[in-house]
Amino acid sequence: MTTPLTMAPSRRSDGTPVLTVSGEIDMSNAGELDAALSGALSGASVDGHALLVDLSAVEYLDSAGLTVLFAHAPRIELVANDLLAPVLTISGLVQVTTVHGMGS
Amino acid sequence: MSAEDGQPVELLFPGGGEMARRMRGYPWSGISMGDPGTWPASLRTACRICLTSRFPMIVWWGEELRFLYNDAYLPLLGSKHPALAKPGDEVWTEIWHTIGPMLRSVMDSGEATWSEDLLLPMNRHGYWEETYWTYSYSPLHDDDGVVRGVFTAVSDTTERFIGERRLAVLQDLGAQAGHARSVAEACRLVAEALERSGADVPFSAIYLRRPGTDELTPAATSPRDANVSPLPGGPGGWPVDQVLRTGESVVLTDVAERFGALPSGGWQTPPTQAVVLPLAGETGGGMIGVMVLAASAGRALDEAYESFLGLVARQTAALVNAAVAYQLQQRRAEELTELDRAKTAFFSNVSHEFRTPLTLIMGPVEELRTALAGDGERVPADRLRAELDVVHRNGLRLGKLVNTLLDFSRIEAGRMRARYEPVDLAAVTTDLAGVFRSAVEKAGLAFEVDCPPLDEPVYVDRGMWEKVVLNLLSNALKFTFDGSVRVTLRAKDGHAVVTVADTGIGIPRHELPRLFERFHRVDSARSRSNEGSGIGLALVKELVGLHGGTIDAESAEGEGTAFTIRLPFGSAHLPPDGLVAPPPPDTASTDTASTDTAASAARSAAPYVEEALRWLPEGPESPEDETEALAARADGPRPRILVADDNADMRDYLRRLLRPAYEVDVVTDGQAALEAVRADAPDLVVSDVMMPRLDGLRLVAALRADPRTAAVPVLLLSARAGQEAGIEGLDAGADDYLVKPFSADELLARVRATVERARLRAHHLRWHAAMIESLQEAFFVADENGAVIEVNAAFADIVGYGPEGLPYLPRHPWLPAETDDPVTYRRLAEAYQRVTSHGSGSCVVPLRHGDGHQVWVAATFVAVADPGTGERRIVGTLRDVTAEHYLVQRETALAALSVRVSEAGSVSDALTGALAELREVWRARHVTAALWHDEVEPTLFRAGPVSEAGTETGTEAGHATGTGKGTGWLDLPAELRDRLAELRGYPPLRPLASEADGAGVSLEHPAGILTLWIDLGQNRPFTAEDQTLLALLTGHLGQGLHRVHQLDQQREAAVALQRAILGPSHLPAGFAVRYEPATRPLEVGGDWYDIVPLPDERIGIVVGDCVGRGLEAAAVMGQLRSACRALLLQEAGPAQVLTALDKFAALVPGARCTTVFCGVLDTTTGRLVYSSAGHLPGILAHPDGRTELLEGGRSTPLAVWPGRPRPEDVRTMPARSTLLLYTDGLVERRRRALTTGIDQASAAVQDGRSAPIEDLATQVMRRMAPDTGYSDDVALLLYRQPAPLEVAFPAESSQLAPVRTALRDWLNRCELNPAMIQNILVAAGEACANAIEHGHRDAPGRTVRLRAVATAGDLYLTVADSGNWKSPRPEANTHRGRGVALMRALMQRVTIHPGAAGTTVDMHARIPR
Repeated sequence: MTTPLTMAPSRRSDGTPVLTVSGEIDMSNAGELDAALSGALSGASVDGHALLVDLSAVEYLDSAGLTVLFAHAPRIELVANDLLAPVLTISGLVQVTTVHGMGS
Repeated sequence: MSAEDGQPVELLFPGGGEMARRMRGYPWSGISMGDPGTWPASLRTACRICLTSRFPMIVWWGEELRFLYNDAYLPLLGSKHPALAKPGDEVWTEIWHTIGPMLRSVMDSGEATWSEDLLLPMNRHGYWEETYWTYSYSPLHDDDGVVRGVFTAVSDTTERFIGERRLAVLQDLGAQAGHARSVAEACRLVAEALERSGADVPFSAIYLRRPGTDELTPAATSPRDANVSPLPGGPGGWPVDQVLRTGESVVLTDVAERFGALPSGGWQTPPTQAVVLPLAGETGGGMIGVMVLAASAGRALDEAYESFLGLVARQTAALVNAAVAYQLQQRRAEELTELDRAKTAFFSNVSHEFRTPLTLIMGPVEELRTALAGDGERVPADRLRAELDVVHRNGLRLGKLVNTLLDFSRIEAGRMRARYEPVDLAAVTTDLAGVFRSAVEKAGLAFEVDCPPLDEPVYVDRGMWEKVVLNLLSNALKFTFDGSVRVTLRAKDGHAVVTVADTGIGIPRHELPRLFERFHRVDSARSRSNEGSGIGLALVKELVGLHGGTIDAESAEGEGTAFTIRLPFGSAHLPPDGLVAPPPPDTASTDTASTDTAASAARSAAPYVEEALRWLPEGPESPEDETEALAARADGPRPRILVADDNADMRDYLRRLLRPAYEVDVVTDGQAALEAVRADAPDLVVSDVMMPRLDGLRLVAALRADPRTAAVPVLLLSARAGQEAGIEGLDAGADDYLVKPFSADELLARVRATVERARLRAHHLRWHAAMIESLQEAFFVADENGAVIEVNAAFADIVGYGPEGLPYLPRHPWLPAETDDPVTYRRLAEAYQRVTSHGSGSCVVPLRHGDGHQVWVAATFVAVADPGTGERRIVGTLRDVTAEHYLVQRETALAALSVRVSEAGSVSDALTGALAELREVWRARHVTAALWHDEVEPTLFRAGPVSEAGTETGTEAGHATGTGKGTGWLDLPAELRDRLAELRGYPPLRPLASEADGAGVSLEHPAGILTLWIDLGQNRPFTAEDQTLLALLTGHLGQGLHRVHQLDQQREAAVALQRAILGPSHLPAGFAVRYEPATRPLEVGGDWYDIVPLPDERIGIVVGDCVGRGLEAAAVMGQLRSACRALLLQEAGPAQVLTALDKFAALVPGARCTTVFCGVLDTTTGRLVYSSAGHLPGILAHPDGRTELLEGGRSTPLAVWPGRPRPEDVRTMPARSTLLLYTDGLVERRRRALTTGIDQASAAVQDGRSAPIEDLATQVMRRMAPDTGYSDDVALLLYRQPAPLEVAFPAESSQLAPVRTALRDWLNRCELNPAMIQNILVAAGEACANAIEHGHRDAPGRTVRLRAVATAGDLYLTVADSGNWKSPRPEANTHRGRGVALMRALMQRVTIHPGAAGTTVDMHARIPR
């Protein structure tokens, strides 16, 4: 049984590329996230925009997922939720990338 | 040379002093310090300060601490100068061990230090000197702030320090004033004080001058045992004689040459110098001695030292003089006391001398007056004459006494008017001697008078001469019992020499010098009479002295005494105004003169002769009147009285007074009286106090000391007046006391009363004796030494020793020897001790009867004073308590044995306990038992020896073939093995006693035959009573062992039962239980708990309490518990379960009134449905600190009201709350409300709500336990909602999600907030991920375990795997390192325990309220 995780690339009206992630991210599926991120960033579609990774539907994120996010940090922005806030803050990810949606 | 920076050396080393000059000229660049131009500013400044200061100062510089100093320091440096810039340790080698470390510490720490009054033995003036210095050490920094040197300012405190110490010595000496009672003590005190002052006076000696001579004798030294004597061939000893002669002190500088090494007083070298000083006497007096005082080698003997030693000598002289004065004063006081004593004795004696004749005058006169008043004509003439003779004689004696005293006082006052006339001394002396002839011859002595006429007359006062000769003759007669009295007259060397010699008892040599002393009487001499004032010979000496003559005495004890008088011829030595002319030869013929002389002599001599005659024995007593004798016979036996008096008149007088009513015997002194009484005891002794040979007081003492005569009453007559004399007589043991002069009536009344009293007393004594004899109890009297001196008939019966063996000296034959029976010995000693301290004591002890058997007695002792003699006696009674003793012993031993056996937890315990008891009963050395079963060698049980205090030192049991420290069968003495083996052949419970040392018996043991031997030690018989007791005790023991054996079996069964019925062996998570049975050794009782897992994560919970305890209650409990469990498993609700149990309990005997709490708990929700059959309410502790009682669903205990529906209640346990169910043993206490106990239990649970559940169970049991332990069964059940989560999963990453889901569920049940849940999920997830990673690497497929526990306020997580973690290194493994960092950030505490078998991660988070 693998950890439930879905990822959906999309684009906002202003052309910003978006990767919407939902479910839980741990060492069993961090590789999938990495692949999805790499895919989303590799396309010419990025056009100088940062990739907006929407994690607001992620219920669990551990250091395996963080490591993936760190690896892509310069080129992504995050949308987070309150549940993830402590992990993102403690890990220092908030300092290297822009995180939206934290704090009530 | 000038400094490189241009500063001239004059500025660097200023001044014109020697050191400044030397420093300027020193080749600095040649040593490590370098050129002064390169010196740091601080060194240069220090040098300037140093050189310009008047105080001694030093600069130590550099690693070698090079030594720079100023002119003021030169004297301290002494001969070491010059030492400029030398390394410090080369300069001050001898004190470097002291100052080196101090300097080093300043260098190292940079902190200043100092030392005060530092003793530095210093050789600066050519000798090792004791010097004291106060040094300060300050750090010197270089320009970089590094400590490079030390700056030292020095002050010499030697003078002050030594001065203070010397002052203390003088104060110490001064403090001795007033303590000495003698010169020797004064010297000793001085020496002791100086011994304490060795640093200043290493050696001293005091020589004292022998009074009146120039001889000196050593009196004391310090140190006390100093052995100082002149070296052979040396310059000689101390010049003490010279100092005594000149009075000038002498200083010696060659002490070592004279004596070698004197004591050094702690200094390193012995003294070389000393002062010999005179000790001056009191002002005006000469010197009292000489004192030697050695000077310490550590100080030069300078003026100050000399004056100090002079003060020591002065103090010493003052102390010795004070002692001399004290002794003088003391001697004066003693002399005065002696004079006072002599005078008192004189007056006392003189008074006696007066009183005796006075009595003998007054008595007869009184009698005659009475007779004349009655019927004057009837007084027979011869009686009248006899009475008047007595009165006359005693009148003369009184007159003589008065004259003697008058003479004496005249001489004393110098008013004696002598009339010296030339007389024919031969004629006068012969005449005087002649009047004594009849008396001397009557005494049976030869009397020789050899006085040939002299060539010239001698000037004498006739009256005085008469007194001289008569006194000497009277004296000779008084003290001579055999032989002769001799008077001779010769002319020799211009003197007339008169000698009066006797062959009497003589005078002890030591008494001779005091013979002529006034008031002095030669004591304890045998004499014809004890009368005498002690002034006769003194008077003689005075009288002879008035004649310019001398008198001497020569004497040898037992041979005789000779008095020699020398009178010079002529009159030149006499006062002219005392001379009278000789009677003219024509007015009286020689015949007439001679007749006159003889008549005068007879007249003067009469009192002397009369007195002397009365000392002599008389003829046989005149036979008693026929009529008196007849009257006596008619009255029956008359009381007999013995009269003892050395005065014949007094004897006659007393006999005459007493004869009408009593039979009277007379003797002349105390010794004769004592013999007469011993020969045939009279009814009364009337005795004078002052008598020759044995006086009255000593007579009484002698009579009282002898038991045969102790009861004879004595009436003392004394001339000595005063209360003291009376007390003295009564103290000695006299019955009454009469002071002369006494009246006849008084005497008769006293005699009558005393005789009467004595008769009554004799009667009492007989009555007393009869009473004691009739006593049933043994009675004895012991004297103060413990010797038994009186026993009665019962004593002979009980103890077997009768009066015929008296006295019985300690150790008494009926006492056991200390070694045989130390306990008895100690008890008796304690009882005696109590008699001594409290006046009475008692004890119960075994004695050895005369025929050898043991008898137990209750002994009571009382200390009394003998009314007759005042001596201390111990009176005791003994009651035979043998029978009672054995009865009590039997009962006590039985009871003790029963207790031992009943207390035992096993047959083996019971047996060892019983052996210890047996050993106690017989106070045996040891008791050994052998249990014979199938094996070859028996099992041994042994009660070891008893220590002296009687405490048990150990009882051991060991199998014969076993190992360890227990005594094995083969370790036993062969004799004991034989005995134990032999006993097997005897019927059980038949004791077999040996001759002397013990007894054995066999009995049936559940496992075979048991034989035991009691070793009593040496020489203790095992009596028939002992055998009975042993049979009885071993009989009980056998029964007891079987009983214990049965109990053993029962217990084994009960333990098995308990294992079967007491609760589940494996508890579901979240529960903790305790069970405490009230009855040991059983481990089950009437209380129980049960936890029954049911479908759907539900659990049945039961706590119940059957009536009663022990095995019976346990049996009932077992049935109810099983029934209840079965009902729950049938899916019945709590109320249904209890209703069914009601019916069941009604059928089980003893099950009625059981209380039960029954509940069904849904562990997923915490919902608890419960019903209570009269059980105590459950306690629910909320996580916020509140507690509530589960009081719903209550009804009656089981089977009380069968068929009645039971209520139910529902309570949902909040997350992290704790439930406590219990039985009344936990909370019920005597004299305390049940609610108090419940409140305490509530508080205990509440306080422990954050503790793990197992810990909480322990805490509650401990906290609720009474001091003496639980007295009732206690069952306790605790549950905390939710139960801990325990997940085990294979180490695969796919497991992470399901584990997380389970944990999230559980955390939700814990009702934590979502943020905290998320944090815990991440932390746990990281730990699990780590475990999985290591699992993959090291041991794929291994199991990882996650456990989560919540309490009210805390949450604990444990993740355990089988792999090895590496310490996190983010750069090597970024995301793993990040994981650990996350764990630490999200949890309060994370501990990683790596281990060989795997790694465990413990995490803790506090749950906010």
